[in-house]
Amino acid sequence: MRFKKKDLVRLYRNLVRARKFDQAAIRLLGEGKFTSFFHAAYGGEAPGVGGTTFLRQDDYIYAHHRGHGIPHAAGKGADLFSFMAEHCGKITGSCKGITGFHACDPEYGMLGAGGTIGSAFPVSVGWGLAAQKAGKGQVAVCFFGDSSAGRGTMHEGMNMAANWRLPVVWVCENNGMGQFVPIKDAYPLEDIASMAAAYGMPGVVVDGQDVVAVAEAVMAAVERARKGKGPSLVECKCLRFRPHVEGAPDWVHAEVRPAEEIERLKKRDPVTLYRKKLLKQGILTEKELEKIDGEIDAEVQEMERFCETGAYPDPSILQNALYAD
Amino acid sequence: MREILYLQAINEALAEEMSRDETVFIIGESVQGSTFNTTVGLVQRFGPDRVMDAPISENGIAGAAVGAATAGYRPVADLMFGDFIYCCMDEVLLKAAQWHMLHAEKVNVPLVFKAAIGGYSGLCNEHSRCPEAVVLHHPGLKLVLPSDPYDAKGLLKTAIRDNNPVCYFYHKQLLPMTGEVPEEEYTIPFGVADVKREGTDVTVVATSFQVSLALGVAAEMEGKVSVEVIDPRTLEPLDLDTILESVRKTGRVIVLDEDTLRCGIGAEIGMQIMENAFDFLDAPVKRVGAANMPIPGGVLEKTCLPQPQDLANAITDLLGMDRFELAVQTAGVKLL
Ligand SMILES: Cc1ncc(C[n+]2csc(CCOP(=O)(O)OP(=O)(O)O)c2C)c(N)n1
Ligand SMILES: [Mg+2]
Repeated sequence: MRFKKKDLVRLYRNLVRARKFDQAAIRLLGEGKFTSFFHAAYGGEAPGVGGTTFLRQDDYIYAHHRGHGIPHAAGKGADLFSFMAEHCGKITGSCKGITGFHACDPEYGMLGAGGTIGSAFPVSVGWGLAAQKAGKGQVAVCFFGDSSAGRGTMHEGMNMAANWRLPVVWVCENNGMGQFVPIKDAYPLEDIASMAAAYGMPGVVVDGQDVVAVAEAVMAAVERARKGKGPSLVECKCLRFRPHVEGAPDWVHAEVRPAEEIERLKKRDPVTLYRKKLLKQGILTEKELEKIDGEIDAEVQEMERFCETGAYPDPSILQNALYAD
Repeated sequence: MREILYLQAINEALAEEMSRDETVFIIGESVQGSTFNTTVGLVQRFGPDRVMDAPISENGIAGAAVGAATAGYRPVADLMFGDFIYCCMDEVLLKAAQWHMLHAEKVNVPLVFKAAIGGYSGLCNEHSRCPEAVVLHHPGLKLVLPSDPYDAKGLLKTAIRDNNPVCYFYHKQLLPMTGEVPEEEYTIPFGVADVKREGTDVTVVATSFQVSLALGVAAEMEGKVSVEVIDPRTLEPLDLDTILESVRKTGRVIVLDEDTLRCGIGAEIGMQIMENAFDFLDAPVKRVGAANMPIPGGVLEKTCLPQPQDLANAITDLLGMDRFELAVQTAGVKLL
């Protein structure tokens, strides 16, 4: 896919939205306004944003849990206000406050989420199947972490999708860690992408801090899937600036991850990198970038008001909620 | 006597058993760092070969534990959240539980599935469950549910030494609980209930965090109702005798359990009481448990999980008394 100026601007806007909503989530959790936990995306927003911004509205996505899917929802154009309100446990939330952290926006191809790692793979196969049956050229994009690849469900899902040439794109967000365990100590090869060969599908590695590189690689795989050529695996090498979950220690095995290490990683901040690139290529000026940033700051403020003013759900909403009519 | 935390009690039991028996090892996700601080410091002491950080592979971890156990080791498979046991049901419920009997008792499966269970911190259905009934429904697994630091340590040591697969479920809400634990070594046998509080009007049977909840309610109702709290400590094996003895004394019983009410512990223990002490009952057995639905997160969680006020209401209803308003009607603290 060749990106035009307006595409690149959109990508910037979504990336900054992902960043600022994720930062707001970290803050709101700290202020005790969240009813549940939060796994920040900070530093690793680019795969979610780059992998979704140019999808069709009716494409399906299974978001990864970093930022609980804020980057993915931001890129897909789903409603971030209700997603944040969900975290605040409000009736205005994406699940009426019933989950406290799941995105669910069927109009935008987000049919729900889960809290057990590895559940994304087989469910995404089902979306790929539905897309194939419908024959409208939709794809299903499944985002997952490097360490999630340890689950056996990944093998089942990838094999099924490859075997039936389903329009599924597997996007691995490899931030080098799975909670306290470096991926190098949980998988013997360098690249998760090398798993693709086992299923006879293309597997590529891209710089996951470069949002354009992610978008290019994912969209190439998406176009291929739309043509009926089957699944692909795109591995994005990315970073995580926060602990695995907010409020928990930032360990690597049994050692605290040194602050200097995080400072070093921050030199590859995906937002800063993309800003520099846009400036250097003369696509946007400093002023134009600031204008976008300001608009998103205002949106974040509005979101906080939205979360604040929403009511908590009444228990009666659960009364007939277990089964469909 | 010295006091330590529930999580330290678990940690001490692991450390002592690992020093005592070198066939004991821990395998699980992020156990060198430790999600709930129960395995902290163990890798420094016993090395990474005995405190193994595994990939995110629940089937792999549980299955490897079964394999190693049948081949002469005593693995402690740390499944992190109790909810993740659902990912490896084949290994836990079909392999570990059946192996010994189906192979004509030629092979033992001495392992521990260790997991943190329970809700009350708004984490929703996949980080809050108490998968007790599921385990109990598959004979061949012992089931341990410690309710305080003393029991947490003594029962874990017994679990590791047992020649059978044991599910050792510790409760997240109890992690910061302090309690007396002797410096000297001790173990607690399975199948011996503990009367956590003596009373004469009504018996409450509870395990794990629900014991704290019941003791709190009993203390607040003191003077109005005399509540006896029985903690079976292990649901398999179950010390029915101690429960029946109490029922014969009080004539009224409530089974309080955090797992889903339907087909839950209350149904099982309640039925066993009816079968064995029907003539001593002055009223039908009552159950208090989680509502029959996936556990919601956020503020709705409390409408699903049993709350102190629910128990108080069950007690007064059972005794035909006016309802009694507790000062604090809901339980639990947020974890993260
Ligand atoms: C079945 C299951 N096992 C373990 C967990 C706990 N857990 C949640 S996220 C996570 C680490 C995931 O690592 P990775 O897939 O690399 O994603 P990252 O968080 O690094 O983006 C773990 C162990 C879980 N939620 N579900
Ligand atoms: Mg990772």
